[in-house]
Amino acid sequence: MSRAQALPDPAAVGYPSFKLILVGDGGTGKTTFVKRHITGEFEKRYEPTIGVEVRPLDFHTSRGKVRFCCWDTAGQEKFGGLRDGYYIHGHCAIIMFDVTSRLTYKNVPTWHKDICRVCDNIPIVLCGNKVDMKNRQVKAKMVTFHRKKNLQYYEISAKSNYNFEKPFLYLARKLTGDMNLRFVEELALLPADVTIDLIAQQKIETEIAAAAAMPLPDEDEDGLMD
Amino acid sequence: MADKEPVVDRPEDEEEASAAAAAAGGEEEDTGAQVAPIVRLEEVAVTTGEEDEDVLLDMKAKLYRFDKEGNQWKERGTGTVKLLKHKENGKVRLVMRQAKTLKICANHLVASTTKMQEHAGSDKSCVWHAADFADGELKEEMFAIRFGSVENCKKFKDLVEEISESLAKTEGKETEEDSSAAGLLEKLSVTEKKSEEVATKEESTEAVKETDTKSAATSE
Repeated sequence: MSRAQALPDPAAVGYPSFKLILVGDGGTGKTTFVKRHITGEFEKRYEPTIGVEVRPLDFHTSRGKVRFCCWDTAGQEKFGGLRDGYYIHGHCAIIMFDVTSRLTYKNVPTWHKDICRVCDNIPIVLCGNKVDMKNRQVKAKMVTFHRKKNLQYYEISAKSNYNFEKPFLYLARKLTGDMNLRFVEELALLPADVTIDLIAQQKIETEIAAAAAMPLPDEDEDGLMD
Repeated sequence: MADKEPVVDRPEDEEEASAAAAAAGGEEEDTGAQVAPIVRLEEVAVTTGEEDEDVLLDMKAKLYRFDKEGNQWKERGTGTVKLLKHKENGKVRLVMRQAKTLKICANHLVASTTKMQEHAGSDKSCVWHAADFADGELKEEMFAIRFGSVENCKKFKDLVEEISESLAKTEGKETEEDSSAAGLLEKLSVTEKKSEEVATKEESTEAVKETDTKSAATSE
């Protein structure tokens, strides 16, 4: 009831918007995971998040369009900022750890405690990231915290996109009460006609030739497609 | 002591069996807390925007866009690329959707100027320019696409080039018709010139008559 009141004004975007709190140790892949969804790119370089970065993430579902306002928080303590302040009025949360680092899983209870202190009874997803890596330290069997605390658990890889939609799908289902909710096609509007003059076309051809010589990222990996 | 150990083991076995069963059934176990939903949303009919189009091509691929600032290719999405032909106006467009989330990665018309160029480092990839409408507004992009096989890449490349060449021919014919019209305009110009010449002659004739009249007067 109080949480319903906390729901931001849907008129702002014309469809429901949920505050999602994203926490976990530094370097576990929180920002990379969110960016993967927003732009499609995989950011290899690690740049610690300072304080919080809020990014809107929209999905089209069988119950209409929904938005997750992702509050991507600092994982490193020195960049933490107003930690509790970021959690206020959170509707759902993701706690991320790195399966190649035991310490990041060991710290999950602390993150969970911090969230629950501010947000009462919100759906929370625990994510074990980087499952594509060979040097896995936290085996699937070792992950048991979610059962003790009633969290949902997904093994994911922001790099290979394995299960990358599952955390958001689960949260959308919980928040709407429809466990059969599914992601659906976004409407593809017919594009407007375009006219390109000869001078612009020549410039494009020059740029294309230069770009065609640049390597594609992860070019050696062909495993993603049949 | 001995009796206690089996009791301790069984719950774990049950949990694993339960998880395995859930996984086998394709349905995942929900270990989350019971929470009351905070919004009530009605089910909606799905409109893809492709209802008036025929599918010419439908393949799995990985799409990249060229980041000019960083001078590098960046992933845009992995999913399904389609070439769609409109049933009424015959226009062909490329639509690519991200797998699982089904968000749009690319949405642009195939134009007469669309040229598919091979990527230097991969025979499963090609590169092109497009005015992309994925975000609902036109944006100049350079795209690269990678397929799972050389054959699939060739299929895609050949079909796009066939379509753009067909468009170029159609537009070429229209240009010829424009030339004919220009020819007609030139004829009209010539006619106008002739009219002017006739007018000039008439003026000359009148001048001559006047001269004759003056001569006659002088004789008298």
